[in-house]
Amino acid sequence: MASLQRKNRFHPSVSFPLTHQIDLYLERDFPYTEPSHSKIEFGAGGPRLSAAVPGCERWLMRRRLESMAEDATRALGKGSLPPGPVPEGLIRIYSMRFCPYSHRTRLILQAKGIRHEVININLKNKPEWYYTKHPFGQIPVLENSKHQLIYESVIACEYLDDAYPGRKLYPFDPYERARQKMLLELFYKVPHLTKECLVAFRCGRECTDLKLALRQEFCNLEEILGYQNTVFFGGDCISMIDYLFWPWFERLDVYGIADCVSHTPALRLWIAAMKQDPAVCALLIDKNIFLGFLNLYFQNNPDAFDYGLSC
Amino acid sequence: MSGGSARSLGKGSPPPGPVPEGVIRVYSMRFCPFAERTRLVLNAKGIRHEVININLKNKPEWFFEKNPLGLVPVLENSQGQLIYESTITCEYLDEAYPGKKLLPDDPYEKARQKMIFELSSQVLTNKKTTFFGGKNISMVDYLIWPWFERLEAVELIDCVDHTPKLKLWMEAMRKDPTVSALITDAKTLRGFTDLYLQNSPDACDYGL
Repeated sequence: MASLQRKNRFHPSVSFPLTHQIDLYLERDFPYTEPSHSKIEFGAGGPRLSAAVPGCERWLMRRRLESMAEDATRALGKGSLPPGPVPEGLIRIYSMRFCPYSHRTRLILQAKGIRHEVININLKNKPEWYYTKHPFGQIPVLENSKHQLIYESVIACEYLDDAYPGRKLYPFDPYERARQKMLLELFYKVPHLTKECLVAFRCGRECTDLKLALRQEFCNLEEILGYQNTVFFGGDCISMIDYLFWPWFERLDVYGIADCVSHTPALRLWIAAMKQDPAVCALLIDKNIFLGFLNLYFQNNPDAFDYGLSC
Repeated sequence: MSGGSARSLGKGSPPPGPVPEGVIRVYSMRFCPFAERTRLVLNAKGIRHEVININLKNKPEWFFEKNPLGLVPVLENSQGQLIYESTITCEYLDEAYPGKKLLPDDPYEKARQKMIFELSSQVLTNKKTTFFGGKNISMVDYLIWPWFERLEAVELIDCVDHTPKLKLWMEAMRKDPTVSALITDAKTLRGFTDLYLQNSPDACDYGL
């Protein structure tokens, strides 16, 4: 298990996009049940640090809160003005702070250090102009300064890898690329199953069968890691396929299904390794904020998408 | 090289040997549209290949070592690397082999092709109702139906096994009184097609 790494913005190996420089405090191992306390409390004035947190940690957490996510903006809804064209040198992503598919694309933007701006969309009250960006009004959508639109999260991720320089997230070798795409096929039931578990859990319904099905999918992924004998799905280093899987694993805890990896040790090791990745860390969503969002979302509150924003 | 004029291999058949160098092998079935995608790309790029047809109704046991899902198409090269899922095989061939590129080089143009493909596939996967328009048959179902009616005539019907929702839709369509009143049987369709392709003036009256 990799040791605790403390990195700050002066660390030579760390590079972040101009728009997003934060200090990172990387958490150790991710047990399959997270402790229920959190260091961030929510009151009328928005998020603040719990008094119980010691001094230096408070400083680090405060820095994190202050520069939290460049996607910490209010979601645009019906009646909002359409945004202007995308300035040169920037790419825009239409997103939603808690959407796992958008999360994939934001991970790639982060991992490749691509300068970007985020426009959040109110998914329960979509702006009329948004259908000019996507025929079915889905997110994520990328828009560049040439007015080109790219949608479907996997296609958007591949586009970013192809179009932008720097570190390539897909392998160069055609067979290895094909292998990552075949692995993605193996994953296709996971988003649907995790969502169904969440809905059942939230509506107080039975979800034993669903959880069993999800465990089976996780067993298949466990087998791959065992067969390959690597930490990550693409090899010994993190690559595209790991980022494409990650958003759903980050959500296991808040969805109440963290125990579904109880029998898959290699997968738990992968989760812990992922949590050490700078891009994953930079986008990690605070548990309490997520729970607050879920509460409002399941009450059909259109303000759900802005939960946790201080202004 | 035709789409494998060779007989398909079934249960009890000996597994084929390794793929010779300089050649890529495709496990296929003559009438499967998914496998046809791969064969189209192999031919368009002039890639030297050999075809092994699989009896999809009586699959050889060894075939599951090539693809645990037991589906065609599957590519196997001389290094023993296996690639499956039709779109993945097609993209692999375009990347791994020289000559005419079938996918554009420009990242945006490449993404655009994939988006078009994905959106049209999504219509099926997002389909939560029996018919395309909802719970009951409606205009869009009638508009699409004639092309699927003809699938049977050219024996592609078994390949909707890949897409169970489509299979269920076809069964539901056949039960519709309007569709069944106007349905043309496969044999008649084939007879017409044969004559039509020969430019015969009798084609249009076939079966009368």
